[in-house]
Amino acid sequence: MIETMRPPQNIRREIIDVPCDDARLALHVWRPQHTKGAVFYFHGLQSHAGWLWEVGPRFADNDIAFFVLDRRGSGISPGPRHELPGADTLLDDYARAVAAVRQTIGESTPLTLFGHCLGGSFLAALLCDDGFTTSYDSAVFCSSWLGRMHATLGVEERAALATGPGTELWDAGLRSSDFTDEVKYRHFIDNDDLAVRQVTRRSRAVLLDLERRYLDPARRPRAVPSATFVSGMTDPIVDLDAAHSVFQQLVSGRGAQMKFPTDKHYLFYTGVSDDLVDWTSTHTLLQGVNRGA
Amino acid sequence: MNTQPTSQNAPTSQDDQWQNHWQARRDPFFQECLAARQDLLADLKDPAAAQARVLADLIDIGAGSLHWKEQGYDAVVADPSTFRSVLPVMRYDDYAEQIDRETRTKGGVLSCSPVLRWLKTSGTTGTPKRVPYTLHWLLKYRIPAMKAMWGTYLELHPEILAHPWATLDTQTVREDVYDFVHGVEHQAISNRHPQINSRDWNPPWYTSPWFGPDTPTSHSGRMYHRVRHLVGRQLHYISAINPSTLVSLRDLIAEFGADLVRDLREGTLEGRPYAEPDEVAARHLEGVLAQDEFSLVDVWPSLTLYSCWLSASAELYRPRLEAVLPGVAKLPFMSCGTEGVTTIPVDDTLDSQPLAVSQAYFEFVPAEVPLGELLDAGERIETLLHDEVEAGRDYHLIMSQGNGHARLWTGDIYRVDRIVDGTPWVHFTHRDGVFHSFTGEKITEGQVTQAIRQGLAAGGLDTGLYMCGPRWGGLPSYAVVVEVPSPAEELDRELSAGIDRELSTINIEYASKRDSSRLAGLRVRTVRQGAIAAYVESRRQQGNSTQYKYKPFQRDSDFVEAVLTH
Repeated sequence: MIETMRPPQNIRREIIDVPCDDARLALHVWRPQHTKGAVFYFHGLQSHAGWLWEVGPRFADNDIAFFVLDRRGSGISPGPRHELPGADTLLDDYARAVAAVRQTIGESTPLTLFGHCLGGSFLAALLCDDGFTTSYDSAVFCSSWLGRMHATLGVEERAALATGPGTELWDAGLRSSDFTDEVKYRHFIDNDDLAVRQVTRRSRAVLLDLERRYLDPARRPRAVPSATFVSGMTDPIVDLDAAHSVFQQLVSGRGAQMKFPTDKHYLFYTGVSDDLVDWTSTHTLLQGVNRGA
Repeated sequence: MNTQPTSQNAPTSQDDQWQNHWQARRDPFFQECLAARQDLLADLKDPAAAQARVLADLIDIGAGSLHWKEQGYDAVVADPSTFRSVLPVMRYDDYAEQIDRETRTKGGVLSCSPVLRWLKTSGTTGTPKRVPYTLHWLLKYRIPAMKAMWGTYLELHPEILAHPWATLDTQTVREDVYDFVHGVEHQAISNRHPQINSRDWNPPWYTSPWFGPDTPTSHSGRMYHRVRHLVGRQLHYISAINPSTLVSLRDLIAEFGADLVRDLREGTLEGRPYAEPDEVAARHLEGVLAQDEFSLVDVWPSLTLYSCWLSASAELYRPRLEAVLPGVAKLPFMSCGTEGVTTIPVDDTLDSQPLAVSQAYFEFVPAEVPLGELLDAGERIETLLHDEVEAGRDYHLIMSQGNGHARLWTGDIYRVDRIVDGTPWVHFTHRDGVFHSFTGEKITEGQVTQAIRQGLAAGGLDTGLYMCGPRWGGLPSYAVVVEVPSPAEELDRELSAGIDRELSTINIEYASKRDSSRLAGLRVRTVRQGAIAAYVESRRQQGNSTQYKYKPFQRDSDFVEAVLTH
């Protein structure tokens, strides 16, 4: 558990190569002196590990090793911008990275998989993927509109998207004002030259494919040990009711829902950030309690 | 030590918070500083062990970084003695690409520690530098250095913690930051706001009303608040970095004396209700202001100590400091820059301090070696370690710091004064390539040239011969003479303002010193074309030497009259 009486600790910040077939992806880690738990973070469409410069150190100061994989084409990882690889490649990358994290922290350290926004969709698909066999202890979906494309696109639109090869760019229409009220962070988001704000039509088909994989009732994940959906009270980007519904289907109705007092989308750039990190930290650590000892 | 506010006014409810903080932090701060001093003193007696420890730490924090792995520097893990043969000597600009990457990742590129801030200081081309301020550097180096220095101050002058109004600390400011690099604050190292965590710099006066971010950000505004809060109190100590700050403090009291007296008498701060009226203090200050050449000791008879830089060009301020602070004991500030700490005072020696062997891994190159040329030519640089330097000689300083700046050529020249217990005692003499610095502005010849060129161009004039030199006075400044087709007083004024503006843009430290009235504006005198050439020729003939050359940069401003009257 967290040592509450010690002063802030000297944590490490490292960037590790994860070999994934033809690429070496950047796995970012903020590491405490003694790791008691770990969080693997799935970033969203435009963000990357460089967005978490305040979140990572706080997790690590809570004795939680915090890992973020820059997806192919995101952050400092190689790969064409605006382009997602196929769903199989994408999930294979994540599976390898999570396996590498598990190997690093050891089998007995509790591990939370944390998907933010679109990262929640990647996480959901990974949990339903037969190729993902690494043990984990809890899953957190944060401000994730699970099943968004199926909820907002008609059957014909989805069919057209799935079959059309297009390289034309689609603008996600993300506005920093939906993410946060704070000028500092809005300025950062608006000027982040590593952010991906557009993806190809082809990439959208990949996203649709991923959704199918976790919306298919025949492909439910193995029992999720602990699942929580976290968001603000409202979200300017996400239909929370729709997202909650898909989340509960995914975890067989056993998921917890938690709301923090903000109406913005990117909780880590709001006043609830520290509370969210602290809750996730304690939640992760508690998964490691050996009740049978 | 006395823990009570002796003769001071009792705290009111509005004062409770900062005074409680002062009381709560006083003893821990005292102990932390003395402990850091003891650690430093122990290292100074065994510098080889300290340097080996620092090198091991630098390798530990560096080896896993992207830059080290990509360049193969991590090979030194197997044999630390290869550090100097594997890693190259670097200038700040050589790190530009890696720093650019690091601004996006906020750590992991140059070292395995999160970057918490980017430290801002003037660069060579007018673009402020971005020096990574990492958690590791903060915890293991920068804060311990501050504490060790204050440990020396406290050891020698414990009265500086006698009560909450005993110390006026101008070394540090707390200002809100509005400049960011990819979301991370970009600020001067002297701005220690906001506090990063509880192990960040936290002196007892951290929340004092004259120290916090609510004070005005202008130099005169902040100074006025400091004085208003402390005048009439038993002030013992004024801490500064630049001696010019102390001189300007006295000048500010002279300039705003009437306002201070009124605020004291009416219990206001800049006219707004603030405290109980203090007629006694008002009368005392009135009496002081009536003296033509009052000193800060007249304002605060309780003063027992001041500290600031007192060597190199700062030494030229000593006569002025003697006038402003007569009979007051003085201690030196550490030799340091944004890039790192070089020396830390351990006693009251003014002209030399021990190399801070626990702060960085230090290397030296004899000053006569043209280091810049060798680096430009890509040549290997042979360096000396702390136990290979000789007393009486000057050296370029190369240091490896815990923020990932390994083998950084600082551009500073240090003289080794003596060796004590194996540790060199050194003092800063000048910056390689710097033309002059009155008060930390570190003007280079290139910057002056660029400012003159741009200032003249703005007026539609080509750049011909010019001369520039420092002019000492109550408020120092730079004097410039330029050749133009039609000299005129009006043009002098225009060019003075224009070139001063350009120099302020190019050198942010110069701008800061101008804004805080520690430097007067640069003054330009225009002369007819050929006037400087004629003056140079006359000097050559006077000296009967073929060696006399046109030197645009002079050590003083005597040339102004000489050129004008030639």
